[in-house]
Amino acid sequence: MPYNELIKNFENIREYIREFYVYGFKSRREYDKKSSRSYDDARRRIESWLEDYIKFGHTDSGKNFFISVDTRYTFHNPLYRVWKTKSFTDGDITLYFILFDILYSNTVSLTINEIVDKIDSEYLSEFNNAKMFDKSTVRKKLKEYTDAGIITAEKNGKTVYYSRAETLKINCADALNFYSEVAPCGVVGSFLLDRTENYENLISFKHHYITQTLDSEILFKVFIAIKNKSEINITLINKRKNKLKQNGLVPLKVFMSAQSGRQYLMAYRISVKRFVSLRLDRIIDIRETNAADNFDCIRESFEKTRKNIWGVSTYIKDAEKQSVEFTVYFDNNEEYILKRLQREKRCGTVEIKSPNTARFYAEVYDANELLPWIRTFICRITDIKFSNASLQKQFMSDLDEMYKMYGIDRGAVQ
Amino acid sequence: MIFSEIYGLYYKCVEEILKEAVKKNINACDIRQIVRKYAFSESISAVESALLSQKWLLLKGDGKTSIKHAPSIPITKAEKMWLKAILSDRRIKLFDIDIDGLDDTEPLFTENDYCIFDRYGDGDPYDDKEYIKNFKLILNAVRNNRPLKIGIKNRKNMLIEIKMVPEHLEYSEKDDKFRLICRETNKRSVINLGRIVYCETFYGKFTEKKKLEKTVEKQIKIELTNKRNALERAMLHFSHFKKEAVQIDRNKYRLIIYYDSLDETELLIRVLSFGPLLKVTEPDSFIKQIKKRLERQSRFLGVKQEQEQ
Repeated sequence: MPYNELIKNFENIREYIREFYVYGFKSRREYDKKSSRSYDDARRRIESWLEDYIKFGHTDSGKNFFISVDTRYTFHNPLYRVWKTKSFTDGDITLYFILFDILYSNTVSLTINEIVDKIDSEYLSEFNNAKMFDKSTVRKKLKEYTDAGIITAEKNGKTVYYSRAETLKINCADALNFYSEVAPCGVVGSFLLDRTENYENLISFKHHYITQTLDSEILFKVFIAIKNKSEINITLINKRKNKLKQNGLVPLKVFMSAQSGRQYLMAYRISVKRFVSLRLDRIIDIRETNAADNFDCIRESFEKTRKNIWGVSTYIKDAEKQSVEFTVYFDNNEEYILKRLQREKRCGTVEIKSPNTARFYAEVYDANELLPWIRTFICRITDIKFSNASLQKQFMSDLDEMYKMYGIDRGAVQ
Repeated sequence: MIFSEIYGLYYKCVEEILKEAVKKNINACDIRQIVRKYAFSESISAVESALLSQKWLLLKGDGKTSIKHAPSIPITKAEKMWLKAILSDRRIKLFDIDIDGLDDTEPLFTENDYCIFDRYGDGDPYDDKEYIKNFKLILNAVRNNRPLKIGIKNRKNMLIEIKMVPEHLEYSEKDDKFRLICRETNKRSVINLGRIVYCETFYGKFTEKKKLEKTVEKQIKIELTNKRNALERAMLHFSHFKKEAVQIDRNKYRLIIYYDSLDETELLIRVLSFGPLLKVTEPDSFIKQIKKRLERQSRFLGVKQEQEQ
């Protein structure tokens, strides 16, 4: 197959983009999972789609290619362009514009035969040796566009009449600009912006995790499955890049992180009768199966467990909750530390112990998830206690290692 | 389905080309110009040759089109569902919205279907009428480059007045706050919208110093040890920064992170959150700050440990 800038299958490019953007240090040799031709084609395509964000470097293992985006100075997620690269046939694009020209107004309503006649007589006849579209091809296209909601099909007796869907009047460029960057499946907002003329970018984004968009198709299907209260079967890729299947899941909610960009499907796994969290970037396929029994009850019981979830680790039957508590010290002019505790806690309580100390306490399913947050208070922690002894040990030994790493002489400071 | 050619930039280009072609005969130069504006760097030859060689039966040899009306494509079901979903968001009141025809559309998601689990809990007051009024006034001032007079409460809770030209708004999902990036007469400033007490258009004379100090871009070098999945966690966590990464040993990586000097403290605690898996190697000023915190920490828990022993 000759090289084509456009692609048929998004999955083939999804992982490359993530690697080029998130990691960026790998050289060609290290992309071993596919052939070198596949790597070269992917790299060439990405270079064409995202040319303003492409950088090269040199390492001992060779030249490396990466995507560099300083999101604070980029008003629109450049990765949305990747969603606008789907390949098509010559017939697809020709028919698309001819069909919408025939159905130019929603007062025009035609049968399949009338449409096919018009295509031949009013459009293709103007070209020499033009390939004609047969009726079944046209019908298939009309069905595809009806499913997409841009054509309507109405039956009158046995005859189906096609017309264009009503054109929606939308005037909200600022909102589209904003939500295309912050709302789930924001790429859809970017499609809408492509239809909007002369808009200005007035809002930039800090702490902006743009790789979430690579999972938009999966996220879209998850939302549809939740809406339909359906069970789903999924295919995912594990750490070793092997494909696995998980069947019989009830999708309940999507958890998103504003501090890493990761997205998780929170679901109920029927076979083991427990809640699970699955990373969306690892899911490569999702299929709705049958209606989920007791969807509302399952979702309600999941919501009840929320007060003990810090990150995404969920309730395990018979497992005891783990407690964690620590006290921080703040000076008289450092009340913002107390405010930090209060605004950053996701569950648990903050108790003011004295004018200069406050204590955080929580019971959670997995106290390990709190460690990174607790470490942000290093220099103020006067007391810390985990019910899980191994976590207590890990926290203290990590601190010791940090002291050594930065040459802190503990004897001297005490 | 999101990955579809109907949202593709080739379709967008051809739509724009046909909009021109229904008005006048079009030539290769016109096509190239449109493709350059809307598609990718390698798209020009592909689109031009497909149209001019009549692989796509839309343009005739003389540059006329068989299409009779300027193309306009209705909004898809997916787009409608997404629009309906954002209309229920709590921040929507900040924007002027004019959308008709979504009554029969179901939202793609509702607030019950997702949550941002690590967002801070003191976000801006999006239901507050004064906040909404200020937001709209500021957005308009940004659009029209119009000076503003703003009263804000500083950290000591004292009311101060600032006159400035707004540059743009900045939103942080993690903080759930909007900030205004602006130029005062002699410096650049960042103002939290949630702190604004009043906000008015400034009609007086506003003279800026010709050369304002630029935002200082700084960098730190970090050595990462890939234990406990630290590589993936750190690369994702810091992915929104401009950065470079190199593997220096089997399990060691060196990262360079570029950041705005105003964000130094935040970056410092984010580095600390990784514990011993990240070690800052440059610059000395940053290392000094880490050491200072560790020394102080050592005093707190060191005493405690000794007491326990």
